[in-house]
Amino acid sequence: MKKILAALLAAAMTLSLAACGGGNGGQSNTPPAGGSGTPSPAPAPSGDKASLNVIAAQYGDLTKDWWAKFESDFNSSHDNIDLKVEVVSWNDIYTVVNTRISNNAAPDILNIDVFADYQADDLLRPIKDFVSDETYAKFYPAFLEQSNIDGTIWAIPDLASARAMYYNADILEAAGAEVPTTWAELKTACEKIKAYDANIYPWGVDMTTDEGQACFAYYSWTNGGDFMDASGNWTLNSAENVEAVEYIVGLVKAGLTNSDPATETRYDLQELFAAGKLAMMIGPNQITSYVEGKDNPINFGIASIPANEGKSTSSVGVMDRFMVFDKEDTDDKVDAIKEFFDCFYEDKVYSDWVIMENFLPATSTGGEIMAAADPAAASWIEIVGSAKFYPTAQAKWADVKQGVIDVEQQALLGGNVKELLDGLQAKIAG
Amino acid sequence: MSTKTPAAPADRQVQTASPRLPNPGSRKFFRTIEPYIWIAPSIILMAIFIVTPIFKVFQLSMNKVTRAGKLKGFNNFENFTTVIKDPSFALVLKNTILWTVAVVVLSTLLGFILALFLNNEFKGRKVARAIVVFPWATTLVIQASAWKFIVNTDYGTLNTLLMRMGIISAPMNWTSTPAAWFGWEIACGIFVTIPFVCFCVLSGLQSIDASYYEAATVDGAGYFQKLFKITLPLVKSSLTVSTVLNIIYVFNSFPIIWTMTKGDPANRTDTLVTYLYKLAFYNGKQGEASAVSVIGFIILLMCASVYMIYTLRKGDEDL
Amino acid sequence: MTQTVKKPVSVKKTVLRLLLYFVVLDVCIITLYPYFAMLCTALKSREEIFSAAGTVLPITALWSNFIDIWSRAPMAKYMLNSILIAGGSTIIAMLCGIPAAYALARMKFKGQTAFLGFVIVSQMFAPVVLLIGIYQVMQVLHLTDSILGLVFINAAFNQAFTIWLLRGTFMGISADMEQAATIDGCNRIQSMMKVLLPVAAPGIVTTLIFIFINAWNEYTVALCLISTDTLKPLTVGINIFNGYNIIEWQYLFAASIFAIIPVVILFMCIEKNLVSGLASGGVKG
Repeated sequence: MKKILAALLAAAMTLSLAACGGGNGGQSNTPPAGGSGTPSPAPAPSGDKASLNVIAAQYGDLTKDWWAKFESDFNSSHDNIDLKVEVVSWNDIYTVVNTRISNNAAPDILNIDVFADYQADDLLRPIKDFVSDETYAKFYPAFLEQSNIDGTIWAIPDLASARAMYYNADILEAAGAEVPTTWAELKTACEKIKAYDANIYPWGVDMTTDEGQACFAYYSWTNGGDFMDASGNWTLNSAENVEAVEYIVGLVKAGLTNSDPATETRYDLQELFAAGKLAMMIGPNQITSYVEGKDNPINFGIASIPANEGKSTSSVGVMDRFMVFDKEDTDDKVDAIKEFFDCFYEDKVYSDWVIMENFLPATSTGGEIMAAADPAAASWIEIVGSAKFYPTAQAKWADVKQGVIDVEQQALLGGNVKELLDGLQAKIAG
Repeated sequence: MSTKTPAAPADRQVQTASPRLPNPGSRKFFRTIEPYIWIAPSIILMAIFIVTPIFKVFQLSMNKVTRAGKLKGFNNFENFTTVIKDPSFALVLKNTILWTVAVVVLSTLLGFILALFLNNEFKGRKVARAIVVFPWATTLVIQASAWKFIVNTDYGTLNTLLMRMGIISAPMNWTSTPAAWFGWEIACGIFVTIPFVCFCVLSGLQSIDASYYEAATVDGAGYFQKLFKITLPLVKSSLTVSTVLNIIYVFNSFPIIWTMTKGDPANRTDTLVTYLYKLAFYNGKQGEASAVSVIGFIILLMCASVYMIYTLRKGDEDL
Repeated sequence: MTQTVKKPVSVKKTVLRLLLYFVVLDVCIITLYPYFAMLCTALKSREEIFSAAGTVLPITALWSNFIDIWSRAPMAKYMLNSILIAGGSTIIAMLCGIPAAYALARMKFKGQTAFLGFVIVSQMFAPVVLLIGIYQVMQVLHLTDSILGLVFINAAFNQAFTIWLLRGTFMGISADMEQAATIDGCNRIQSMMKVLLPVAAPGIVTTLIFIFINAWNEYTVALCLISTDTLKPLTVGINIFNGYNIIEWQYLFAASIFAIIPVVILFMCIEKNLVSGLASGGVKG
């Protein structure tokens, strides 16, 4: 179903892009660019083209081709704009971007996860100035709020993903275990699975430099804890957080998890899960299609992340963004950027992209299209709507992220969780 | 290879050249500046592409640098004090020294021995030599990925192979401790460094005149006597160069550790370079990262100068 | 060890021969093992790589993986770029390095030791550390997104090895023949080209291979400098198989095996020079 939809959308995309640039906005769903500017009827090619440099993150192996097509379609329908999209893999994107910024060679538009650091250095422009009202109105307001610093929105979400618990239904059944909803049930289920087959890892844990902060969030948020309190103070060493880290480190030490959480990333876990060697893990919505894409897919189910007794569950949302760098923009450039976003967030183009990347949409219109096409996506869109996000708007987030990963790894090596978190709290808040 | 002091051939060269000079005055001036013309291209190349970036590192290390890499003025060596005060820094330094010493010493030893073997005439030598080049001809990122893939507990090819061969019955966890990980990283480091040492030594061995050995054999010298009295002194110059450069390259080696463990868990497998990379590009602390690299530079400078002064002087006395 | 060849066959010699073959064979097996593992993985399907049972050899060898990578990524373009970068770096590094090494070996001048020291010191910062500065230089020279920029960087980073190794090689060769050539009317450049360099072939070949391989394998600088896909070298280009959610091991390894081939071919071609050794007259006692 999804594949057919994707193919149809891909075909539609070229058409929409062409329409989007031609100025005859009436034919497509998108009115011409410029809620603020004048609707420009196919601007005459002046000698000066507005050049637009975009760095985009590589989400998958189709990303590059998709952007290449977008780029050529966009350029052929916009005589006055010279768009160049550079796709960089996630492994390297920080290196590339930071090197460029240090040398005043920032791109015009950047697609990445973080933004607070750039904002702190006054490198960004308020995003609302660069997005037409029409497009701006499409975003889920809660998502926009994630990029709010001091009352200004600095970035727009490009896509989102949410996390839930995946379990191998066959293994659970064979081991006589129920799908766990609480931490205690989770531990019991793990023990049953281990007793059933010692070669299967009951529970997947990733405490690596890659994504150890997610591990912290999974257990802290389902124990009533958080990185910071409602008034914006860091609460890293709260009793809830200490209990959360102790719980998960306890599971590792009891031998109920994969063998090496400090070096096994979520991708390793995903492979193990799909091969039937790992019974349960917390992961993003992409795992579904990944597992289903196999020749002999395992029989799996999805459930909420188990919470501690008496606490409520919580999903972890992850969101990436577009931001615009401050570069003495001329009006032409501003219009070009608006045009770019209008074309990108054009519903057909945007849904095509989100479906291709296998993420969740950040716009309500995109969400409607996807939900209508795929009931499974609908439930995920609901999950992401209620998910909690990392405090990425905090300038200290990078330190906090590295700090909690270090705490987890120290705890694995035998450190005292309370002391470690006290130390981190003192370092961050002090 | 060098059995003469550097100055000697040059002196003679100068002597033979002088009688043929038409105009001694300008000729003399030319002779004074001539060497500098010969080294100029190399100096220009390095000055532009290496020295300028090095200045940038020093500049960054002395400045307050924002997360996005903007300089905000001299900050009284705060980057250095912050770095040194961090408890993990001592651990990282210890790792770096262990890593460098282990990889350099073992790869030099093994590479040297391998070169002695490959210097013999035997059937298939060409193939053997080509095979030895393989680890060197592979990008380190890929080499390290392959090793990580091989030693993986769950789908690693080493476990599969050993199980198929009946040597083990259940998958082994080859990387159960941080020390085990570090051991594998060192092994991988040695593996990729051996070809370099081996070919440096081989090129030295090639230039040894067989008549020395014949003479020594006539004098009744045994294999090890010949090895220590003839071979070693003659390859020493190329071995010295390869060792000094090796120390530097290994000290600064990044991809192996980064690909296999990223320094995890809790800095247990970090070296200075992976540590500063995380500081610079994960934590946005380029000032501190530059300070770490300056500290690393100072350490290297000390080690390398001690080593070079020692070996070069000793070499000169021997000759 | 070479000298034993000329002796009559003895038990000792046979034992030594066996030892030799034993050691060389072991070394080859150990060296090839990672490549064997890579090749086997490159021939498997995704499912098989992670299957619970685990196989050493692929159940059915998917040679198509090797073909797929050419359509999945512009491999030929990447490979050509790599060859240009590595070849160009080697040429520039040699053009700058040989004269410098010659001056150090054959002339006496003030600052000789200082220069040698400077060459070593220039290597003491990892490229990772220098990235920001390198990018700045390239911006000034307008070489940020160009192969030429990488050629210069790689040539510069390989100066130390080039100069030190060639200096050693040149110093190990007697200056007598060059002097004879000078008397015959050759100038310095001619005597160097005609007399010294042919004799120094093994050292030069070693240096050549070294620079070529280093430039071929360079990753970090290329990653930061090159933004246009069609200008990327192989090392950076094959990252396309290293996605956000999936690492496609079979493609990554298939592409990596391709990347080794040119280097090994180059090596096989010039290995002869490495073996032939010096004309014995050129070696100084």
